[in-house]
Amino acid sequence: MSLNLLYSFREGVIGLRRARVATFVTVSTIAVTLTLFGIFLVFTVNVQRIVGLFRERMALEVFIDNSLSSEQIKKLDEKLSSLSGVRKATFVSKDEALKRFKKEFGEDPLAFLGENPLPSSFEIKIQQAEQTPQGVETLAKKIENIEGVEEVVYHGKLFRVVDRYSRIIIFADILLSIIVLLAAILLVANTLRLTVLSQRSTIQIMQLVGATKSFIRRPYIIQGVLQGGIGGAVGSIVVWGLVRGVALRFPRFLEVSLPLIILPLFLGLLLGFLGSGIGVKRFLRA
Amino acid sequence: MIQLSDVWYRAGRDQILSEVDLHVDPGEFVCIVGPSGAGKSTLLRLIHIEIFPTRGKILVANYDAQTIRAKEIPYFRRRVGIVFQDFKLLEDRDVFENVAFALWATGVRRRQIKKRVFQVLAETGLSHKRYSMINELSGGEQQRVAIARALANEPFVLLADEPTGNLDSEATDEILELLKKINRKGTAILMATHKEELVNTLPVKVVKINEGKIIE
Repeated sequence: MSLNLLYSFREGVIGLRRARVATFVTVSTIAVTLTLFGIFLVFTVNVQRIVGLFRERMALEVFIDNSLSSEQIKKLDEKLSSLSGVRKATFVSKDEALKRFKKEFGEDPLAFLGENPLPSSFEIKIQQAEQTPQGVETLAKKIENIEGVEEVVYHGKLFRVVDRYSRIIIFADILLSIIVLLAAILLVANTLRLTVLSQRSTIQIMQLVGATKSFIRRPYIIQGVLQGGIGGAVGSIVVWGLVRGVALRFPRFLEVSLPLIILPLFLGLLLGFLGSGIGVKRFLRA
Repeated sequence: MIQLSDVWYRAGRDQILSEVDLHVDPGEFVCIVGPSGAGKSTLLRLIHIEIFPTRGKILVANYDAQTIRAKEIPYFRRRVGIVFQDFKLLEDRDVFENVAFALWATGVRRRQIKKRVFQVLAETGLSHKRYSMINELSGGEQQRVAIARALANEPFVLLADEPTGNLDSEATDEILELLKKINRKGTAILMATHKEELVNTLPVKVVKINEGKIIE
């Protein structure tokens, strides 16, 4: 058995060498397809991530009555935190607000006003499910009615724009992902089927001299896996190189995990196995 | 050995064979003679179990065409050699590899393959051509490679479908001589041809077929 497998492997490799041009065409087709797929994958994941970051920024600023005691502030904090739709409520004291102001504008209001004009506030992060224009609006109204709250500020317009565009982008992205994935599957599988088809006289002769079906199938499956694997590896390497290149110019723009990078390789191996396997099987049945 | 009893074969609307009875004994040389389209090739394909009879019984060695399982067919084929008018060789390999192909495709070990290939190449007079590519050979030589390949697994019978159909008279004589030699060593031969004059010179049993029926 292991000897047979070794033989099939050898025969598979020899077969690839024998048909060098066809092998080159097949491998490069797979490589190009899976590179495109990989690039798209990185793009998709990061579009989703960036859209998520935007949604994350949908926060409310709740300004409160300056005369509230620390006891009352603590109670208000508990009340806000327990509201449905609130992920996190953070108290920002007058001093903290001043610090942030200085950091952001580089000027000290104390210097020309003589006192700290900034009110204390709560910063409310919203739960993902409520990160919609309507959700934010409802939540803001609810908070406005709480005692001790002076004003609720949020960028409603920005929320609506982000919301609308992120929906369009994610929808288009998912649609394109499906198309690219289907194209990759069909292209790789069909390329390998054609390779098998070009070997039909060899397969016929194998049947003629009494080779079993599994024996006939094996070298082709090995060839398919090798071609798919090499094509996929090229895809993975190119995508990795591109991601590194982008990271050099725009650090932190792309975030990529290892599984994402090696997915083209895996897809290549899998499609190589299935494409050639199905190709020979159909041929043997006919 | 080979036994066909009341075999009928139909392809679509065409009745290709009817009422065929045929018997080939071990070591016998039988020629099926008839015009093109008489059903000779169909008969050989039935015996090679590439197709199945519509009616009737076909026994080849211990295999019954009616009851053979798909999984058994490859093992059956190893015991039956076959050659064709168009040789069916692998053009991208040399003579040695073409013959070795039949052995490795049936799981024979490498060392044994080499030994056996040299043996059949010697028997078919091709030893000196073992590293030639197929397209460097004459038609007669190519048919000999096909015969060597068919003999590699030591079949008990060699089926030959118009083996001289593409050959000139000189090459035809050579191939017939080779077949006779193989037969003398004990391998049965069942040859189909449309050239009646060919078989008249051979010391063989002749079966005449026309329009799908055996007439003599």
